[in-house]
Amino acid sequence: MIENSFDRRDFLKVLGWGGAAVTLSGCGFTSVQDGVETVVSYVEPPEYAIPGISVYFNSTCAQCDAGCNITGRLREGRVLKLEGNTSSTINYGKMCGLGQAGVQAHYNPDRVREPMLRGGEVLAWDKALGMINDKLSGVKGDEIAFLTGSVSGHVKVLLQNYLEALGTKNHYAYEAVAPSVVRAANKKAYGVEMPRLRLDKAKVVVSFGADFLGAWVSPVNFSQQYGKFRKAGDTGRGVLVQIESKMTLTGANADRWIAIRPGTEGILALGIIHALGAAGLSLPADVAAVSKAYDAARVTKDTGVSAEQIEKLAALLKERSPSLVIAGSAAEGYVHGSQNAAAINLLNSVLGNIGKTIEAPTNVPFPQVAVTTGNRSSVQALNDSMANGKVKVLFSYGANPVFTTPTALKFKENLSKVGFKVVFAHYLDETTQEADLVLPLDSALEDWGTSVPEYQGESAQLSIQQPLMEKLHANTRGVGDILLALLKQRRANEYKDYEDFYSYLRNAVVKNKSALGSAGEDDDTFWTGALSKGLVYFNGSKGSLSAKSSAAGIVLPAPAEEDAAYPLHLIPAVTANLRDGRHANLPWLQESPDPMTTIVWDSWVELHPKTAAKLGIVEGDIIEVTSRSGSIKAQAYLFPGIHPDAVSMPLGNGHVAMGRWAKDVGVNAFGILDQVVDKETGELAFNETRVKISKTGKRVIVVKDEGFIGGSQAGNKIAVRASTDEVELSGEV
Amino acid sequence: MSVSNMLENWSKFRHMHPVDDAPYTEYKWAMSIDLDACSGCNACSVACYAENNLAVVGKEKYNAGQEMHWMRIERYWDEDGREFPDQGAQFIPMMCQHCEAAPCETVCPVGATNHTADGLNSQVYNRCIGSRYCSANCPFKVRYFNWYDYPTTNNVWPDEMTQQLNPDVTVRGKGVMEKCTFCVQRLERAKNNARTEGRLVHDGEVQTACQQACPTSAISFGNLVEPESKVAKQWAHQQVELAAKDAQAKDEQEGGSDLRGYRIFEELRAYPSVMYLERVRESAI
Repeated sequence: MIENSFDRRDFLKVLGWGGAAVTLSGCGFTSVQDGVETVVSYVEPPEYAIPGISVYFNSTCAQCDAGCNITGRLREGRVLKLEGNTSSTINYGKMCGLGQAGVQAHYNPDRVREPMLRGGEVLAWDKALGMINDKLSGVKGDEIAFLTGSVSGHVKVLLQNYLEALGTKNHYAYEAVAPSVVRAANKKAYGVEMPRLRLDKAKVVVSFGADFLGAWVSPVNFSQQYGKFRKAGDTGRGVLVQIESKMTLTGANADRWIAIRPGTEGILALGIIHALGAAGLSLPADVAAVSKAYDAARVTKDTGVSAEQIEKLAALLKERSPSLVIAGSAAEGYVHGSQNAAAINLLNSVLGNIGKTIEAPTNVPFPQVAVTTGNRSSVQALNDSMANGKVKVLFSYGANPVFTTPTALKFKENLSKVGFKVVFAHYLDETTQEADLVLPLDSALEDWGTSVPEYQGESAQLSIQQPLMEKLHANTRGVGDILLALLKQRRANEYKDYEDFYSYLRNAVVKNKSALGSAGEDDDTFWTGALSKGLVYFNGSKGSLSAKSSAAGIVLPAPAEEDAAYPLHLIPAVTANLRDGRHANLPWLQESPDPMTTIVWDSWVELHPKTAAKLGIVEGDIIEVTSRSGSIKAQAYLFPGIHPDAVSMPLGNGHVAMGRWAKDVGVNAFGILDQVVDKETGELAFNETRVKISKTGKRVIVVKDEGFIGGSQAGNKIAVRASTDEVELSGEV
Repeated sequence: MSVSNMLENWSKFRHMHPVDDAPYTEYKWAMSIDLDACSGCNACSVACYAENNLAVVGKEKYNAGQEMHWMRIERYWDEDGREFPDQGAQFIPMMCQHCEAAPCETVCPVGATNHTADGLNSQVYNRCIGSRYCSANCPFKVRYFNWYDYPTTNNVWPDEMTQQLNPDVTVRGKGVMEKCTFCVQRLERAKNNARTEGRLVHDGEVQTACQQACPTSAISFGNLVEPESKVAKQWAHQQVELAAKDAQAKDEQEGGSDLRGYRIFEELRAYPSVMYLERVRESAI
């Protein structure tokens, strides 16, 4: 076609006009010819940087503690996109939105770039490190404290060594939204804190408020399993039942979502055991004795779940085995959270799921690199020490307690009593602003490291984090490098062979290659192999579970009394995107609608339409939520998936610092939580806060993705649902 | 192509889509999404932002309906007046359906949106004059217009953030329409590689960004011409035909059938290239 139709002369004529127009506006056709940009050819091209060709490197995602293995796509030496590492048994080549946004954490313009003193005065690294050394002189070991998030791998090894060199045992590992009560209950019931949960093997999953598809433990791993669970396969399509007071993303995907009165999860679990016994399942004597009191009439009265529903659920569990029962964050967030979790775990033991759908993780043979998980009681302990003036020097890395602790704890006030505060920081967040010395960190895509995830894949693995590109800013440093430099101040001789953290890391990993399944390989082959795979497996022995769930000691209080002054339960929601707020400055996450409400760029209060009607509230009303510990104002959103006795607010927004996309967006619900703890573990009881609601008289338009008719399909067949007896799933591709 | 050539050979160039007289021979890209596996988590949407250089517009412009999410998750509730949505919510990923008889294509005054030889509904940015007729005519509301010049707007791609932009994908300026392309840059690369090796693209060789990220593997994508591809098998099993003349097999049966594949707004005869599989809920609980 081209040869007979293209009139070259006409074409040139047209181009001539265009060219003339361009000539008027500049010297040439391109910005290069205009002199705006220059082209510099490589004399020595950097390795692998072939213009126009993408290269891929494996690393580990640092956006949350699940530690998914990732593959970064690079072009011309820049990282463009993160994908899942297909050889990983944690995330099976998949990624969540939070992980995808890792590139925005890396390229974020609000990152801290220089070591700084309080007030913003920039100083050089040797001065900064020298300052730490000076401030530490004359301070006793137990007056020094180190606050971190969950840590594992070789950064943890260096951290422990540094603490030892300082003569302190004060390591506080803090995670604001970790399932720490469930961990303790699991340890009691199964002998391990975090067993492997085999959704893919279960025929029925009953989750008591575990948002495993959204924000709980290892969401991408669970989502992969969930995909298989929903396929008919050989065992039939799996059934998911979610029991909670506020619908989470997982609840929104349940075959049956059961709204329960806040705090009565344990009672329902025992009620189900009672119903199972009544249906003919043989119960151990101690279990039968405890569950005897939980007949349907009482349980219905306490929990608000109908007797018919309990009976149906028990029948389903009895008929379809193996099943899997999961105790989640919604159940653990009470004064009796441990008891709730114990009762729920007991259900697994009664149903015979332990060893079938609850499996032992592989042992990590090196406890020094195994994960130290964070919890909430640690920050309370640190807070007490600071309040008593026992902390002279505080290091903080990977935590933002000024933002994530209840105002009632007075953390910020107590922090000011610490003489010298060093914060290792990515952003100038609320805690960093209180620091005397700020040390700027490399992004996760620039840094070296290893990590051992808490929730293991098919086998225990050491995940390798390697830089995907050159550092963006000359004066940021990796956390390992900072710790090594600090260690050299104390134990120069021991660490003199290591020029930097990389050489330490390589040496430490290579030295143990036989325990990492590569005894025969030479060092270089092993190391490059490990880097190229992005993970290595431990020769770990398969762990074992000690099923010692017993009914003894389970004491559940009667449902909470009505509180006339503060009639509603506040359920803070951990959302998949914002979690505890550390990634609030990533614009993709702010603009990615909350899946349940479709709201963007703000906080909100979820109310059941019935509750809203009673209070005379409509969508967009600015309402004041007042607890005994404080009050905040936010827009109301009418949400059918919540118990009428409860309201819910998302966590993560409401920053007063941190960066351009986080600052002044929404309100911080952490602030108004009552400082009430679980009796057994001392963990902050997240869902115990009672609130009252009052209208302010203001109203806004809620900025959300759903249209003005909300969640209605307006009679159209857009998203269609069928019941299992209407479709034939077997034989599907 | 000169005008005279076009006029002389008009009958040869003119196609009605879907094409019965000249069926696809090498590629026809299509998708299937299992709503029973989709959890509504939004990972696909963020992956799309990363892959396709989508602008983050901020709260104010979002409120004005100027968001640019090529891939969005719609969430619906049951409307039968129950106290609680006790069978969960209905999530559906929504993006350009790449209709065979696309209502957007016929109304473009400048031919900026048109059908490609491998069955994509393509959008030619530098041909687009911004009439927005296509968006008005789209039954799925999946076309997004650049009301502003985002590359020069404050805090859209500040400083270092420009380095994240995917060089395989244009950054769109003010006044053009954009939408899901089925990651055409990935398709082109795969097709070029295959062509160099004298073969067709294998099933699974190319993934769209949303499919690649999807944590529950709810999205399948591939070549409908290749009968062994997963997507072709899924369409065949569900008896969904690309160009069903009147109704799909599922709809022809009295009271519906036990199949669960359907396309949205089948009755409009736009013949979308995306098949959804109905969400399923257990009847025993």
